[in-house]
Amino acid sequence: MNNDERNRKENYISRRKFWMEAGMGIGGLALLDLLGKDNLLAATNASCVGSAGVTGTPLMPKAPHFKPRAKSMISLFMSGGVSHLDTFQYKPALEKYDRMPMEGKGEIKVRQGYPGPLMKSPFAFKQHGQSGAWVSEIFPNIATMVDDLAFIHSCQGISNDHVISHYEWNTGSIQMGFPSVGAWITYGLGSENQNLPGFVVVLDQKGGPYAGPPNWQAGFLPAAYQGTVFRSKGDPILDLSAPGQYMTPEQQRARLDQMNLLNEGFDEKYPGMSELSARIASYELAYRMQSCAPEAVDISSESDETKQLYGINDPVTAPYGRQCLLARRLVERGVRFVQLMSGAYVSIEDTWDAHANIVTNHTLHAKEVDKPIKGLITDLKRRGLLDETLVLWHSEFGRMPISQRGVGRDHNPGAMTVFMAGAGVKGGQSIGTSDDVGYKAEEQRVTSHDLHATLLHLLGIDHKRLTYYFNGRNMRLTDVSGELIPQIVG
Amino acid sequence: MAAEAVRRSRARYAMVLGMVVTGIAAITLFFEPRLVAQKEVSEKDVLPVIQRCSQCHGAQLQMSKLDLSSREGMLKGGEKGTALVPGNAEASPLYLRVAGLQQPAMPMAPVPALNAQEVALLKDWINQGAKWESSPVAAHPLVPAPTSGLSAVGYKERTLTAQDRQWWAFQKPVRHPVPVVSDARWSRNPIDGFVRSMLDKKGLEPAPEADRRTLIRRAYLDLVGLLPPPAEVDAFVKDPAPDAYEKLVDRLLASPHYGERWGRHWLDVVRFADSSGFEFDISIANAWRYRDYVIKAFNQDKPYDRFVVEQLAGDEVDQPDNDSLTATTYYRVGPRVRFREKNYPSYRYDYMDDMIRTTFQGFMGLSVNCARCHDHKFDPISRLDYYKSMAAFWGYVDYDHPLAPKAQVDEYAKIVKVLEKEMTPLRQEIARIEKPYREKQRAQQVEDALKKYPADIQAAIRTPEAQRTPGQKLLVAQVLTLGADVDPDSIVVDVNASAKARARAKADQVFGAGDYGRRGGLKLSEADEAKRAALQAKIDAIEDRLPPPLPVADGVRDGDYRLSPDGLGDSNIPGTGRPTYDIKCCYIPAAGQKFEVPPLFFAANGEDIKADEKTFQVQPGFLSILNSTSPAVHPPNRPDYMSSGRRRALAEAIASKDNPLSARVMINRVWAWHFGRGIVSTPGNFGKMGTLPSHPELLDWLATEFVGQGWSIKKMHRLIMTSATYKMASGFSREADLAADPTNAYLWRFPARRMEAEIIRDTVLDASGKLNLQAGGEPFFPAIPVSVRADQPRGTWDLTKEEPSTWRRGVYAYVKRGLKYPMFEVFDEPDLNVTSEKRATSTVPTQALTLLNNEFMLMQAGHFAERVIKEAGADPEKEIRIMYQIALSRDPSPSEMRNNLAFLEKQRAWARGKGANPENEVRSALADLAHVTLNLNEFVYIK
Repeated sequence: MNNDERNRKENYISRRKFWMEAGMGIGGLALLDLLGKDNLLAATNASCVGSAGVTGTPLMPKAPHFKPRAKSMISLFMSGGVSHLDTFQYKPALEKYDRMPMEGKGEIKVRQGYPGPLMKSPFAFKQHGQSGAWVSEIFPNIATMVDDLAFIHSCQGISNDHVISHYEWNTGSIQMGFPSVGAWITYGLGSENQNLPGFVVVLDQKGGPYAGPPNWQAGFLPAAYQGTVFRSKGDPILDLSAPGQYMTPEQQRARLDQMNLLNEGFDEKYPGMSELSARIASYELAYRMQSCAPEAVDISSESDETKQLYGINDPVTAPYGRQCLLARRLVERGVRFVQLMSGAYVSIEDTWDAHANIVTNHTLHAKEVDKPIKGLITDLKRRGLLDETLVLWHSEFGRMPISQRGVGRDHNPGAMTVFMAGAGVKGGQSIGTSDDVGYKAEEQRVTSHDLHATLLHLLGIDHKRLTYYFNGRNMRLTDVSGELIPQIVG
Repeated sequence: MAAEAVRRSRARYAMVLGMVVTGIAAITLFFEPRLVAQKEVSEKDVLPVIQRCSQCHGAQLQMSKLDLSSREGMLKGGEKGTALVPGNAEASPLYLRVAGLQQPAMPMAPVPALNAQEVALLKDWINQGAKWESSPVAAHPLVPAPTSGLSAVGYKERTLTAQDRQWWAFQKPVRHPVPVVSDARWSRNPIDGFVRSMLDKKGLEPAPEADRRTLIRRAYLDLVGLLPPPAEVDAFVKDPAPDAYEKLVDRLLASPHYGERWGRHWLDVVRFADSSGFEFDISIANAWRYRDYVIKAFNQDKPYDRFVVEQLAGDEVDQPDNDSLTATTYYRVGPRVRFREKNYPSYRYDYMDDMIRTTFQGFMGLSVNCARCHDHKFDPISRLDYYKSMAAFWGYVDYDHPLAPKAQVDEYAKIVKVLEKEMTPLRQEIARIEKPYREKQRAQQVEDALKKYPADIQAAIRTPEAQRTPGQKLLVAQVLTLGADVDPDSIVVDVNASAKARARAKADQVFGAGDYGRRGGLKLSEADEAKRAALQAKIDAIEDRLPPPLPVADGVRDGDYRLSPDGLGDSNIPGTGRPTYDIKCCYIPAAGQKFEVPPLFFAANGEDIKADEKTFQVQPGFLSILNSTSPAVHPPNRPDYMSSGRRRALAEAIASKDNPLSARVMINRVWAWHFGRGIVSTPGNFGKMGTLPSHPELLDWLATEFVGQGWSIKKMHRLIMTSATYKMASGFSREADLAADPTNAYLWRFPARRMEAEIIRDTVLDASGKLNLQAGGEPFFPAIPVSVRADQPRGTWDLTKEEPSTWRRGVYAYVKRGLKYPMFEVFDEPDLNVTSEKRATSTVPTQALTLLNNEFMLMQAGHFAERVIKEAGADPEKEIRIMYQIALSRDPSPSEMRNNLAFLEKQRAWARGKGANPENEVRSALADLAHVTLNLNEFVYIK
């Protein structure tokens, strides 16, 4: 036996040993052996799916509290504040009282300057589908599928500050630093695929939303549950590959093998310290992620028909279309939670923050997402994935029934529309209402805690039982409240 | 016995959390074997259990309208029906809920949950008919409500019971005699007597002493966070002196790098960051001075009681100095919106909550913040206690203390005044020149609006003011926003304000925020423009004579927050909901001026300041449970500095040797930072939701010793690190120990632990020889890719490169709330918004990706290889040995040497195959091995 052969054998044995210690079964071993072969960077598709044989990582799939309605969730977050009054809530009273002061609603709390008079929507509204849901002309594609959607028109937040409201709807707290919904869900359920992060965030191609990373952070939960940003240029994940001038893939594999060999001797002295073997396992998972993440984001294998479905052929819809297509590919591969941001806080006009002009702002941003969202829901449905995937379309607040300078609208946490699709949620529903002009939620007010409790429920989690002990308390996503929305969970 | 059960149950809870997500102790109980045999159970047996339930469902508080303090109450039940069916536990929600058999679980189920024994006891009691012969649960001998105002607002303060007072952490530490043990090695240091006697009691056998190489490496990493230089390792191993180790510890304690390592621990406690978070994530300009203050305090071994007082009230002491003033930046490094604060009075209450949380959890291990909206659910802390604590902080406002001698400050003020006087007429002259243009601009705005806006708005503008409809009036007011004209004569120049505004604009890349309040540019005629430019040039010349701004500490002092100057985005526009206060004086009291802290009302939250005033005013006071005799105020003994002395009184009550918590909490933190786990494993919580101490007598002994030694932290390090306990080997295992105490709670071996994010980075740089030891000063920005910067475009982050200026120690890196440095974030940097009681150690593939592929790591691996080549020459064996000595503080074993030689050979051959010349071949292969070494478990663990 020459040196090389002996080395290889030693490598094999040592790796076999630590995988055993890490609790990995035979399936995993076979896979590792496969991966251990030189230059094998392009793992097959099959090896990138599932958690075969891996145990002991914080993202292992965990049993839900009860039978879930969905396995994974896609959050379509519209950053900047979508006007419910120009999209899904038709208010005849606004036409009647157009350009008159809003009265009888108590003190009017605006974000910017003087309060203006009421303003009717500049967009035409029509009823659609069997359910007769109202949709404005800026969402012609979503309008065709309202019978698959459940609208909640009575969401209400606390603050008219963008960032605080981002915290509220993405973390359940108006304070900075709480774990995001995606972090709680991956903490609760782990992920079905250990070769990809369990919680993926895809930003608007122009940049991050209001509030930035605290929207997807893990807060006081372990770092394992924080959202991983998939980047649109270069490597999808930070540090997924090494800059070529420092290390080639072959060198990396050789280094990993040597590392495993050397770690073995050290770890033997620390029986019972599972974190040491977990750390070794994490390198092999990282190694697999290097081939699985690029595979997941590579849409070249998708048919032209599919790409068109998502609007990837049109420069206006292509960026969000790619985000949506990526979301489908990720949930298909077992990723637990995907959040797609629309809106980059590079300038307010790159978000949905239509202070200056509802027509120009919302016409553009609605067009960017309308077709891709329809494409996503259609594609999930035809692939049989919609039943096990919850899709939520939401924002941080709605907008004011009164105008800004006659053409724009200010922030309004009093009322907001969100919609859900999939997860067996009954489509064609319109839940809750806001008052006659849409200033405040009226019938069946839904808070962030209520919405979050409902999302967790659909994923098989009792929001009161998903707790984490921190600074003297069992913390919850829903703090000490949260009522399920009966029409959604019923 | 009960305490022991609670502790065990907590330990299991922690394990459950670590392994499984649902983490519901009650569910795991379900699978545990029955631990008690069936016997006659009376209510006396179950009362201790029920008393725990009655914290929330008792005579005082009936959540879900349920009162479990009597059998009648149980039968009657609450909102969800009867709780008890005598004779049938399976039908009694009282049993089903605690056993986890009926959902949902209680929203704030006590931790620890009932253990299996207790659940079984309850079940047996119910099945045996739930006999109850004595009176209802008498857990609450009532004392009269303390404040008459309370009843007026319908608030009944939680009453303190004998049981409340008996909680271990509220008892003054008792100095127990040091247990005598037979083993000589364990008899030299008092700590060891306590630890060893506990080990003996538990039947655990301690590890032998670690070898010297391990000890010096451990001491270095633990105390200064750097690698021991190989020559020092060698000298230490060979040193025949019996006190070689003690001398080593003393040497390290005297190192300036000690403060860099241990100051960072403290920064976790005080939720330190260089930016304020929220939308604009604005820089806290002088946060770094506070960071340096903390490092210096540790290096100087500032007595801890003084350290506490300086941070809370460094401005209120009788003789403040630059350090004590800088210490008050403690108040300003928390999360703050710093935008339109005057429009949102509730923010101030949130900031107070942050101060209460950080101060009481940080210094005293009590979650007083839990009593913001109601009495504390578990600990004897009332909502009134919360507001009394808030009242202690209520006087403070942000204040930049000049850090210069008084003469220099006065001189500076004098110069500023002169300059202002020179500048004012010039500015007024400019305003006079601009006046007609300004008027024209307003006319122009109307014209522009007529072009820009839709027809109906044009119509509104054209309609004469008197004839406009109410809606038109609103529109016109919105469209024409240039506001009132500027009266040139009213202009007064504030040089400092303008200098500050410029500095801020420069320091913060606050994109959106910069637009607020900015005036539109005026187009002047050529002649007027020339006049204006000439005047401006004169102004600039005067400004140039302004001496460089004095260094300041971003601190606090007492003042009236209601009169604080407008901040970023503040504009007093009707309709924006900004409250007004009918008061005139004074934001900052002048010397000799009478000062009163503005009133604070019970239950106030700033949402509606008129409604807030409907309760009663709260005066400062210390937590009732501690029966403190400290005064509520202790004003500074200085005629020139008016301050209420409330913060100082609070600080002195906390830093008092009579406070049963403060010394225990700090010494427990020190212990936890040495051993990876505290004697109380929840260092920020010594209340009922925390864990009980594993070694209560040791904790008390250490606390009294700490105070007795003048609150010297360095003396405590020395004591701890010279103990046999600390010097035990970590790589030791005994089946029986592992089985009996798998988490090593009783310290039968030294607990190996992964280094923190900053220390991993520091030691990589140390190994590569590229560590830049520049200490203190403004923070540096670690290199991040542009794409990461784009995630949070607000606030400051200079894009830098991997180069020596960014290779400083991690403690000096800019800490940004809105964007964590990815390498630190992935390695469990704590949440920057609340006090951190301990760092998590999670293990995820993204950490591996960072250490495998990040440019920083690869570059340093290359530098490490270069360094080794330089020191070892071309001899592969020597190269490997030196690499091990630098990175792992030891020589490779023969088999490691063999393996590594083969590896180098293989990698050289590979490089040769790629066309490398002999020199590069060696470099490439060594870089491979260097990178491997920096990734090893042994490298990143303190063993």
